[in-house]
Amino acid sequence: MHRRTHRVARRAGLVAGLAACACFTAPVETRAADSPEVAKLKTELTATQGELSQTRAELSKTQETVAALAKRVDAMASAPPQTASYGGAGAPTARLSPVNADNPAISFVVDTALQTNTHGDGGVGFSLLSGELFISAPIDPFVRGYASINGTSDEGFDVEEAALVTTALPWNLTVKGGRFFSDVGRFSHWHNEALPFVDRPPSIDRLIGGESRSEGVELSWLAPIEHFVQITGGVYNSIGEQEGAEPVSSVFGRRSFSELTWLIRPQTYFDLTDTLNVEVGGTYFGVPQRRDRNLYGVDVTVRHQPGTSEFYQGTTFGVEWMWNDEKFTDQRPRFDTAGAPLLVDPSVAFDPSSNPQVFGDGRFYRQGGYAYFESFFGRRFSAGMRFDYSEAPSDDVDVESLYTAPLSPNADRIRTYSAFVTYLPSEFQRLRLQLDQIVAQGQKNDQRVTLQWTAFLGSHSHGFSTR
Amino acid sequence: MAFRLASLCLVLVSAILAQPAAALLRVVASLPDVADMTRQIGGDQVEVVTIAEGGQDPHKVPVKPSFVTKLNRADAVVVQGLGLEHTYLPALLEVARNDAIMPGNRAYIDASLYVDPLEVPSSQNRTQGELHPLGNPHFNLDPVRGKQMARAIAEGLERVDPDHAATYRDGLSRYLALLDRKIAEWEKLAAPLRGVKAVSYHQDLIYLADRYGIELIGTIEDKPGIPTTPGHLQDLIARMGETNTKLVIREVAYDQALADTIAERTGGRVAVVSSLAGGLPGTQGYVDSIEANLKALVSAVAAMGG
Repeated sequence: MHRRTHRVARRAGLVAGLAACACFTAPVETRAADSPEVAKLKTELTATQGELSQTRAELSKTQETVAALAKRVDAMASAPPQTASYGGAGAPTARLSPVNADNPAISFVVDTALQTNTHGDGGVGFSLLSGELFISAPIDPFVRGYASINGTSDEGFDVEEAALVTTALPWNLTVKGGRFFSDVGRFSHWHNEALPFVDRPPSIDRLIGGESRSEGVELSWLAPIEHFVQITGGVYNSIGEQEGAEPVSSVFGRRSFSELTWLIRPQTYFDLTDTLNVEVGGTYFGVPQRRDRNLYGVDVTVRHQPGTSEFYQGTTFGVEWMWNDEKFTDQRPRFDTAGAPLLVDPSVAFDPSSNPQVFGDGRFYRQGGYAYFESFFGRRFSAGMRFDYSEAPSDDVDVESLYTAPLSPNADRIRTYSAFVTYLPSEFQRLRLQLDQIVAQGQKNDQRVTLQWTAFLGSHSHGFSTR
Repeated sequence: MAFRLASLCLVLVSAILAQPAAALLRVVASLPDVADMTRQIGGDQVEVVTIAEGGQDPHKVPVKPSFVTKLNRADAVVVQGLGLEHTYLPALLEVARNDAIMPGNRAYIDASLYVDPLEVPSSQNRTQGELHPLGNPHFNLDPVRGKQMARAIAEGLERVDPDHAATYRDGLSRYLALLDRKIAEWEKLAAPLRGVKAVSYHQDLIYLADRYGIELIGTIEDKPGIPTTPGHLQDLIARMGETNTKLVIREVAYDQALADTIAERTGGRVAVVSSLAGGLPGTQGYVDSIEANLKALVSAVAAMGG
């Protein structure tokens, strides 16, 4: 463009010079009209005039193009975004991370531990608490799917969850189906690595059987009001420790509706102040047939979240309690307060192998729960304490040990006192030290020390349920 | 008794189903900067609720269930974008059961739409810290880019509520005129910052530095989102000495003691700024916040004798 401008300028100068020459030399020209030099100059002048008009035409054309482009840029800058066609596809409305439908979000959690304790299975041992592959992706505009495949030192690999969740149902409804952790209490549906402790509270382990793993369907409704109220209802083959259990009676190997486990869980939340809030939830699940099982639970979580840059960053206090009324089959004998077995037939000697004196079915009422707090310091530290109380079904008691150890009717009650401290070198890595004092009545106290090292590979998102 | 119960039920159902008489546009804003811009542009036509507060670290905003219901009932959500809200907004949106405000949909208003991002990582390698794959998301600290944010917000409001397009266009014109006037003032105010060398706590001042000619030579954090180490601090202090860097910029959500210590060790001054509107005392909106940040920086530079 610049070269062309210079050339035009040069030629314009030449033309002007020639014109001036022509003016001053006009009489001479007249006198020497046939001079070869003048004829040459005339020819050059004509050629230059031709080039000049051509350049002018080109310049004018270029100016028109530039003006048109400028007009288009102005129009683009001031125009509203293109309206969507066919109800959705139009100009982008957001700058989003690229998503590849062939590659769902994949993460892998490595959760390892070094543990030692003083009694029971005393000694030192390394373990893989969890090696968990988590995959999730939207499936279509209506459903997303996720799966979690977990391997541990004790249990090998297993599909912990494989579920579909609706994303576009009306009336604030969400349906989840497949195998998943049902919405029981606060921590039952958390994966191990998301817990604020190195272990799941023992009361949840003993009353529910670890995670609330279920196969079934769950419907969740968010009340369309300003205040947070969510109600979840579900029906499953079983929840937690009953999962995979043989049905009491079956039709072609399946349960009847009354043998399924039914759940309801309401939740609500209050902002007490700008920095203090409380969340309250209740859980009921049960098997209607012959009242095989009824579990009631309540959980309360209070959070202080000042959101400051001070060293103290906040505290979470949580408490959860469960009452379980359950039928157990093939019951072992119970024991009186003196530790003597309460036998079906006292005339026959009690022997665990030849005469176990099984009572048959029996109902047992148990309860348990935990309370904990965790305070957050700086941007990377937290520390807390936990108390847990749990009762086990009598089947949990090692019958053999009852012959060698002093018998006690309270042998299945355990209190656990824990203290834990957590350090996060980054958002994707965590170190945690936990000390447990385990007091089981009728047994020696056990002290346990666990050092946990957890890391998150790949996609990492923060879920609402594990807030 | 039955009649009383029925009446009570009716009242409750009416309360649940009742909609506000005036059809204001209910907007949930992820951060205070975009909330203020939305109010300025939408005026009386919008009702804005903000999730994060000015003094908070935008990477660590609590996920409160009360925001789920607000998002559930929202007509639009306004985000700053480029992944700045990744620790809390996706989790809230996932359970809010409001398809229109999901990312990419009509009522998801992304203020980053017209911003040219800086520091877009060429690879997503976590050895480099907690990187934002779409680029540094703290562009709100540059008021010229603030104009681009305002334009994206106004267009988003118009898209969601075309009946009041004129309101949003007028609001945008007024707001852009205000920003233009302030930008001219700030150019003069910030003149002493040109060429000043500084360190910041987090890697969030690149847009501000780019606009006003501040030369950033490092961060107190080892890498984005990674806490500092003694070795890194030693290197940083040595580098500050070599480059004669005296300005330590602490974002209000970050640790005061460490910034003070570094300033003391290097004979420098600490300037406290906020990466979000309303983070500094006495500030409320976006314009206030930009001005307070620049004044804090200029004041620290003046105290350094620069």
